[in-house]
Amino acid sequence: MDAAANFEELTVGIENTQTASTGPAKAKSGRILFDRDSRDTVGEPFVEDARMTCRDVNVYYGDKQAIKDVSLDIGRNEVIAMIGPSGCGKSTFLRCLNRMNDTIDTCRVTGQITLDGIDVYGKDIDVVPLRAQVGMVFQKPNPFPKSIYDNVAYGPRIHGLAQNRAELDDIVETSLRKAGLWEEVKDRMDQPGTGLSGGQQQRLCIARTIAVSPEVILMDEPCSALDPIATAIIEDLIDELKQQYSIAIVTHSMQQASRVSQRTAYFHLGDLIEVGDTAQIFTTPRHQLTQDYITGRFG
Amino acid sequence: MNNATANGLPPGRRAIDIVNAGLSKRYRRERRFRLYGISAILASLLFLSFLFGSIISKGYTAFQQTFIRLDIFFDPAILSQESLTTANYPGVVKQSLRQMFPEVTTRQDKRMLYGMVSNDAAFQVRKLVLDSPEMIGQTLPIWVAADDDIDMLMKGHFDLDVPESERRINDVQLAWVDRLQQENRVEKRFNRTFFTAGDSREPEQAGILGAVMGSFYTLLVTLLLSFPIGIASAVYLEEFAPKNRWTDLIEVNINNLAAVPSIVFGLLGLAVFLNFFGLPRSAPLVGGLVLTLMTLPTIIIASRASLQSVPPSIREAALGIGASKMQMVTHHVLPLALPGILTGTIIGMARALGESAPLLMIGMVAFIVDIPGGLTDSATVLPVQIFLWADSPERAFVERTSAATIVLLAFLIVMNATAVILRKKFERRW
Ligand SMILES: Nc1ncnc2c1ncn2[C@@H]1O[C@H](COP(=O)(O)OP(=O)(O)OP(=O)(O)O)[C@@H](O)[C@H]1O
Ligand SMILES: [Mg+2]
Repeated sequence: MDAAANFEELTVGIENTQTASTGPAKAKSGRILFDRDSRDTVGEPFVEDARMTCRDVNVYYGDKQAIKDVSLDIGRNEVIAMIGPSGCGKSTFLRCLNRMNDTIDTCRVTGQITLDGIDVYGKDIDVVPLRAQVGMVFQKPNPFPKSIYDNVAYGPRIHGLAQNRAELDDIVETSLRKAGLWEEVKDRMDQPGTGLSGGQQQRLCIARTIAVSPEVILMDEPCSALDPIATAIIEDLIDELKQQYSIAIVTHSMQQASRVSQRTAYFHLGDLIEVGDTAQIFTTPRHQLTQDYITGRFG
Repeated sequence: MNNATANGLPPGRRAIDIVNAGLSKRYRRERRFRLYGISAILASLLFLSFLFGSIISKGYTAFQQTFIRLDIFFDPAILSQESLTTANYPGVVKQSLRQMFPEVTTRQDKRMLYGMVSNDAAFQVRKLVLDSPEMIGQTLPIWVAADDDIDMLMKGHFDLDVPESERRINDVQLAWVDRLQQENRVEKRFNRTFFTAGDSREPEQAGILGAVMGSFYTLLVTLLLSFPIGIASAVYLEEFAPKNRWTDLIEVNINNLAAVPSIVFGLLGLAVFLNFFGLPRSAPLVGGLVLTLMTLPTIIIASRASLQSVPPSIREAALGIGASKMQMVTHHVLPLALPGILTGTIIGMARALGESAPLLMIGMVAFIVDIPGGLTDSATVLPVQIFLWADSPERAFVERTSAATIVLLAFLIVMNATAVILRKKFERRW
């Protein structure tokens, strides 16, 4: 019995053990935690200078509700990390922000999501410019079965961002450099992107996304397939990008969340449980579930 | 104790022991399945080789034709310079036959003698004279096609045990053939006529070019219509159409259409294209339209299947950087689905090439001598030609039927091989 329980905790919290030991995660005995059963969002989901706002967002896959009444802002020049156990709806929520959920027939979104004050689910909203503005890096690397060059150049091409070949070359090189892939692929730009390793493919996808200069970037576990060096490059990139843009990043790594993000949102079974400054979330969580999760005692 | 609860096995038993115990049974089952597979393949190979063997053994002789060498005297008395196009060329041929066999005198015997060579001989002489009139006055050895009965005799298809009165060649003719053979005047040569002529009542003058051209024009119409319409429908249904009751209904109907007997499409073509729109009967245009109706469901179903097999992550990748749906389809999905679409199309076209029933209904079964030169000329197609020849009483049409089947099979094999090559060529991994 004991062994089985231990095992489960180990798999869920495998990344958290370090945080748990290094960070002062233990609640001080005097602090009152919100009860496990409470589902209201704890903390401050709104910011003054919001780039995107979400109000009472519900997402359903058929009859099944994947996101429940989530309200959250994404601020200007900020990185917001979304954490939570697997299947809690992080990807689903992220995909609402640039309407990628439109591609799933059974998926239904209610509530209001705005970008710069404009309702992105409004009637006359064109998803093409929306997605050019709100770019996305997917959970699984999905390069096109085309050359490395064409993978990165595709976005700028269809949006007409480059006047000529030289400009396009320039965009491709800059994007690949930022994604930390340039040195590895500069001699084989005409080889298929699908021939790269998993981690290289993910960086290629990141390069492809930033090649169209989106103003909000949604990253769904961008580093889950990357080694520590590549991860560091991506984290530096995120730091650099946030000077101009807003970034929402889903991650299973607490360290990564604490390294790159200013705010953190904790999801649990479709509910936004707690949101607040990253430092506060990881040091003094105010909800029992958050605390369980970050200390690796979830389950 | 602790170990036992962790893996759920009773104490003292190791998983690997259980695995090993079941292993030989697993391998036996695997061997048995492999055996089933191999015997299934062997059986189908056997049937296939039986089919091919029987067709080829019956048909290969049709690619040769018996020729007889005549010493033709281009008689200036018959071939007067003024009317070379209308001169009595059969007379020239008959004259040289009479000279070779001076002993033949009775009218009946002469008719038998003339019947030894094909009617085509006169046309051959005419062509020679028109090409080079300076021949007139000379005597030249000319190889002319033998009549189909003589041809059959030379190929050993003639049963000499039958009493003379029931044979198509009597003993007198047999003697003449023997004499010709002794004089080295009989020879089997490659049968060019078979590939360059249209249909004919005379087997030695009948060829498949008319039917091949008919099939070509018919398939051209079918391809030009069914490929774009098929792809457009498949792309619309798969990528753009909302999933609702109407699209479900359409899908069910397309699947049903694929199973409708082809003769029904022929009836439809007869009612709609011929009777209502008044299009010409027996024309490849109408044949192509009918076969388009028949092929479309196949192409649509194959195309949809290969569109479905394009991974959704590719679509998301394209949409995610702001490609419109149309760009997603034309830049990414279609190129990836193309091998499957092409395969489906070629298989559909191969089926259309082998189809005869619906074409019977729209009159493509007529006896047509001329080689069609366009979409509205009267024409027939290869399978219908096979059907027509199979119905003909002459023995020489038996081998021509098989030979036409060989040609049809060759086209089918080429088309299917093209499908495989295209698939290999365009196939890309992701
Ligand atoms: N296309 C879909 N159709 C139906 N249900 C879906 C679909 N996609 C996700 N779900 C369900 O929605 C819930 C949330 O899924 P989601 O992918 O958002 O989780 P997640 O938090 O991203 O998990 P992970 O960390 O494992 O990526 C899950 O219960 C999942 O089963
Ligand atoms: Mg996810």
